[in-house]
Amino acid sequence: MAVSSQEKKSSNGVNELLTFNAENMQNNMKIIYYSRTFLSIIGGVVAGILGFTGLKGFIFYLLLMAVTSVVLVAKAKFSIQTYFDSWNRVLLDGFLGGLMSFVLFWTFAYDIVHIF
Amino acid sequence: MALGFAIGVFGVLILFHAAYSTIQYRGLLKITEEEFSGPPFNVVIELSLGLVLCMWAALTVPGKFLSIHPDSEENRIVSLPANLDFMIFNHRGKVFPVEMDLKLKH
Repeated sequence: MAVSSQEKKSSNGVNELLTFNAENMQNNMKIIYYSRTFLSIIGGVVAGILGFTGLKGFIFYLLLMAVTSVVLVAKAKFSIQTYFDSWNRVLLDGFLGGLMSFVLFWTFAYDIVHIF
Repeated sequence: MALGFAIGVFGVLILFHAAYSTIQYRGLLKITEEEFSGPPFNVVIELSLGLVLCMWAALTVPGKFLSIHPDSEENRIVSLPANLDFMIFNHRGKVFPVEMDLKLKH
């Protein structure tokens, strides 16, 4: 697997790199995915404890994801070109999967704290 | 990394403690028959503190970002750990066009 880690990717306007190291790219995407999923779960528990219902919870989730994006960009030391090939990956990846985990733990925590 | 993990566990414990405080607060409100408008102030402080700790843990535990440029310092040599006879070096020869019609010289 380590031998085939250098792959050619042709540029199509999004990135200027002719080739990049795909294995490190996968590692970076995995880090972003784990961070976003964990923070979605924690955000869901916090929203349930605070007693948010309806639209307020989704606004809270949007705020949380915005803060997560800013913090991830800060972790990449503000030079996205070194670690990713496009801005969309670090800003938008994992957004919808995190939303489902958020809603699950939000209803879970709300039920435990406010109903039972 | 173990420190980040410990901080994450601590943040989750703070969240559980805040949840328990809110449950007790709701029990108190049931007794006095008031409406629930929001958790008490110290629970909100506790939740924000737990959130900050978990955010810090979510950044440090999964690992560091690795550079994807083939010509950065840590990507120059790719070597299989088992066999040092086969090593791959990243250099600019990759972008030369391949000559497909080489003829055997005889």
